[in-house]
Amino acid sequence: MRASAPLTESKAPSIPLLQRAFQNHSFVALLYILPSLILLVFVVGYPIFYTILLSFYSTPAISPDRYWVGLSNYTDLLRSRTFWEATKNTLYWTIPSTFGAFLLGVPAALALNQTLLGRSLLRSVFLIPWVISTVAAAYVWRWLYHSDFGLINGYLMAWGVSQRPLLFLDSTDLVIPSLVLVNVWKTFPFVMVMTLAGLQAVPSELLEAASIDGAGTVRRFFAVTLPYLRNVFLITFLLLFISNLEHFTIPWLMTGGGPARSSQIWVIDIYTTAFRGLAFGLASAYSTLVFGIVLLFAILYVRLLTRREGVEG
Amino acid sequence: MRRRTFLSFTALSAASLLATACGIAGTGPTPTVENVPTPSPTMPPPTPQRTPQPTELVQEPIDLSKWNPDYVREIAGTLPTFDTKAFVSNVVPLTTTGELYYWYIGPAEPDPQITKDLDKQFWETWSSTYPNIRTEKQSLTYADMLDKIRTAATGRAAPMVATMPIMWGVEFAAKGHLAEVQLEEFGFSESDFWPGALKSCKWQGKLYGVPTNNECMALIYNKQLFRDAGLDPDQPPQTWEEVVTFSKQIKEATGKYGYGLVARLNHGNTPFRFMPVVWAYGSGAFDEAEDNPTYDKVLINNEGGLAALEVYYNMFVRDQSVPSAALTNTNAENTDLFFAGQLGMYIGHPSEYAVMVDRAQKATGADRERAQQLLDNIGYALLPEGPVRRAAVFGGSNIHIFADRVARGGKVDRQAARAFIAFRCSSEWSIKAIWTTSNPGNLQAFRTTWMKERLEQIKFLEVTTAMLKYGVPFPVVPESTQIMNIIIPEMIHNALTRKMTIKEAADDAAEKIRVLMGQRVS
Repeated sequence: MRASAPLTESKAPSIPLLQRAFQNHSFVALLYILPSLILLVFVVGYPIFYTILLSFYSTPAISPDRYWVGLSNYTDLLRSRTFWEATKNTLYWTIPSTFGAFLLGVPAALALNQTLLGRSLLRSVFLIPWVISTVAAAYVWRWLYHSDFGLINGYLMAWGVSQRPLLFLDSTDLVIPSLVLVNVWKTFPFVMVMTLAGLQAVPSELLEAASIDGAGTVRRFFAVTLPYLRNVFLITFLLLFISNLEHFTIPWLMTGGGPARSSQIWVIDIYTTAFRGLAFGLASAYSTLVFGIVLLFAILYVRLLTRREGVEG
Repeated sequence: MRRRTFLSFTALSAASLLATACGIAGTGPTPTVENVPTPSPTMPPPTPQRTPQPTELVQEPIDLSKWNPDYVREIAGTLPTFDTKAFVSNVVPLTTTGELYYWYIGPAEPDPQITKDLDKQFWETWSSTYPNIRTEKQSLTYADMLDKIRTAATGRAAPMVATMPIMWGVEFAAKGHLAEVQLEEFGFSESDFWPGALKSCKWQGKLYGVPTNNECMALIYNKQLFRDAGLDPDQPPQTWEEVVTFSKQIKEATGKYGYGLVARLNHGNTPFRFMPVVWAYGSGAFDEAEDNPTYDKVLINNEGGLAALEVYYNMFVRDQSVPSAALTNTNAENTDLFFAGQLGMYIGHPSEYAVMVDRAQKATGADRERAQQLLDNIGYALLPEGPVRRAAVFGGSNIHIFADRVARGGKVDRQAARAFIAFRCSSEWSIKAIWTTSNPGNLQAFRTTWMKERLEQIKFLEVTTAMLKYGVPFPVVPESTQIMNIIIPEMIHNALTRKMTIKEAADDAAEKIRVLMGQRVS
């Protein structure tokens, strides 16, 4: 008697192509991000591409046409005194702004990580500068700094600290430190929040053990807490650095780049070159150069982030 | 994942994407459609001819050589009636059908109610005058409009007609974005407008716009502070040298600031107040102050330019008689200082008085008394003169027709555009559309009863109106914005911060202008 063929040898029913595709996780993931990707391509990708393309052209104000000039815009830019002035101002603005935010934000986070009376209220209060609109903050600080009717000068002169008003925004020496102070005030809550989040990952047993072993507060911070915060600091620093590098609002609204271009940073220079000077080709080259520099930092940020995830995984 | 769920999600995402792309969830003014859409007939461009004015207009022509505050009062009300409908019907028949897309800077929320009412009245009257011209208008803010129009023109989506501030048009004319016009096709002639205003509408000898309104500023001063400083309150400074002297005297005698110097970078307030000094001393960015400028020679670092810069230097650096925040102040801060009795004089528009009246009404207690005292002691005077001339920046707006190739839809309805421009620039609407903010571009409007009414309502209007005679438009070159808002203020900053000497700052500015203009100047 012939044995019947085992069931396992019978052919499996064919699965439609679309159904097979939906069973592929990568394909499904791609479909989820497709709408955003399309939007990104049109709203971000195309302008970036067009800006880079335009950077190789000259767009004289007197003509509707554009003219191929190759790398001339880039060489003109790198040879111009005003570009290097703006670069110096940008670094003078960015680096102290970033470090300043850490100088305020980290101690604030450490303090708020302790058991304090009114801790929740304090956390909310310290967040206020971050949530206030940058435009409103810039205008308010402009009034505070005003050398004729600003509160700061008013009190300094009333208390006899100064006989004449200090030219916070009208002095080439004081203008950037004054703007940096505003930016630090505005951004330290971000550092504080990131640090607070990082502090939650520090095992309390280690801190207790270190305390039992006789380590003081400072020693505990450097020996136990800081290693856990290192990656958080790095990522926060990079994010803040990138943000400050391309910041526009505070210097533009408070000084317009003055006095005598002493607060003219890259982004303001790009704006005025394009929309005052109508030199869209040159502004595009400027923009592309700055974009390239910022992109380097962004790549660094992503690499650090993925390295961190790889370590944690 | 279930297929149906995914498809629903995709459909929702696509819909939201489409909505965003179409701007349904976006911001921006919504065009107003005034009439039922009517197809625009294809018509050949009309042969330009001077449309005869109604006979009551053909009276004594306005004599610009007599122009002063007394003459302005004398002629106001001498034209008792003006029939706008009859005037425009001679230009374009009232039964004309067509389509019009129009952009302009409309009334803003803080503007006086009368401005908003008159704007509403304008559109109602336009609709009733030309009921078959379907009009889509966009009211934009000053801050938004220039970039929007640039983007629109580049993207071939420009309106058919737009009213733009006086300095903006030349950029579009140079790029071929504006259509050439002739005054006769709107029922006007050159004698109906200020020569300076017409200068601002021309590019390479051709006309690309029609003036809608013009204004110049005047010197506003505090008579009480003058008295306190030992100055005659009825003798405001006549020359810029006197401004320096008076400013110093006010500072030394009262401790208050003398003159409201403004030198902020990237801000229009700065050149509007500095260039009158430059022109008064016989200088300029180019020869824009001459009757027939050629813009082919840079003059900013000539003797006159150095003298003008020295006026500012003396007040800011030597005498310290101006606000210490002058390098970052705009004129808004000067208004505040003046209103607080901390400033002796500054340059401003006639509307400044209305602003102070408004503030005084809102003040209470002792502040109200102080405010009233200030109002009782405000004086307006002509801008001081220099060795060569008295000058003020010729401000205002012009109305333009865009070229077919950049206009939305690829075709401008020229008949509708002509009808609108004739209507907007008529004696009636030339004055009503700018009631509190400016002066009519059409000179005949100064003879109407509406002008008489304005002179009664708006204090000191005859002074600022009298300054129109001395108006000089900024150089009518596309690079004017860069020169006036960047190069000139940077020159002032370089000198006043002593980063450079006066000569070095002026030479630096001259070189920057030459580089900017390329081969077109020496």
